[in-house]
Amino acid sequence: MFQDGRRLRTEGFTVKATMKNSVVAGPPAAGAFRERPSRPTTFRKFYERGEFPMALEHNTKGNHIAWKVEIEKLDYHHYLPLFFDGLCETVHPYEFFARQGVHDMLEHGGSKIQPVIPQLIIPIKNALNTRNRQVICTTLKVLQHLVMSGDMVGEALVPYYRQILPILNIFKNMNINSGDGIDYSQQKRENIGDLIQETLEVFERYGGEDAFINIKYMVPTYESCMIN
Amino acid sequence: MMSCATGSDSKPKSMSRAKTWTAEVENLFRFQQAGYRDELEYIQVKQGASIDKWPETGFVKKLQRRDNTFYYYSRKRECKDDEVHKVKVYVH
Repeated sequence: MFQDGRRLRTEGFTVKATMKNSVVAGPPAAGAFRERPSRPTTFRKFYERGEFPMALEHNTKGNHIAWKVEIEKLDYHHYLPLFFDGLCETVHPYEFFARQGVHDMLEHGGSKIQPVIPQLIIPIKNALNTRNRQVICTTLKVLQHLVMSGDMVGEALVPYYRQILPILNIFKNMNINSGDGIDYSQQKRENIGDLIQETLEVFERYGGEDAFINIKYMVPTYESCMIN
Repeated sequence: MMSCATGSDSKPKSMSRAKTWTAEVENLFRFQQAGYRDELEYIQVKQGASIDKWPETGFVKKLQRRDNTFYYYSRKRECKDDEVHKVKVYVH
């Protein structure tokens, strides 16, 4: 295409680029922050089949799930990975039931959570990999809850930092520089940069003595919140 | 307020709205979310069932609703400031 009659815009490393009257355009965006579509989740399939022990009531304004059985009696190896799988969801009702289900199970799981950790890594990684801001926020809050949910859970997560932290590294600087203006997303805890910083600090606090060096390896700009 | 109730099917004498948040209001909020007036009614309906509470705060942890499904509550405060006025405090 000719600009102002004479200049030719062209891509780099082509024959045209060597011509005197051409202007070389920069490379296109790599798309590290671009949202990626997620495939239909297993959670959705199970939900639509009605295989979860929850009473599906859509009328209440409340933010609770009515469980048909006691959470303490659930098979965590089966259900917890399924609920984590639903973290990729962005639409109601799937999103609500997955998020609330995870929080309920983590809050009442105690010692049953730690053995399930290896099965949770792939769903967590998938959720973060969608790079959808809302999904990342939910997943970060779930990760914080997960680490604090039981003994040795934080330590059990350390070997899997390689899977989880790369995305956190990409989004770590996604912060609004609003000067002295008010950032309203802060109050709702939806500011991704702040949430990531918070999550990494929780990881370090609960991850035992190897946590910091492993975090630093994956997120080089992270500074310890404990060594000082 | 619950100490003077002795009859098994005692109807509350009066009702008022909560003004400020207290631990007691928090628990009433939880009972009312599950569809009961208060602890007394819950025990009446569930025939003296024990109530699970969080050890640190004393907040109600788990309630069985009238349709036998379960509601689970957080160990942290759930009744936000803008919901305090919805809580009904019954006097027996």
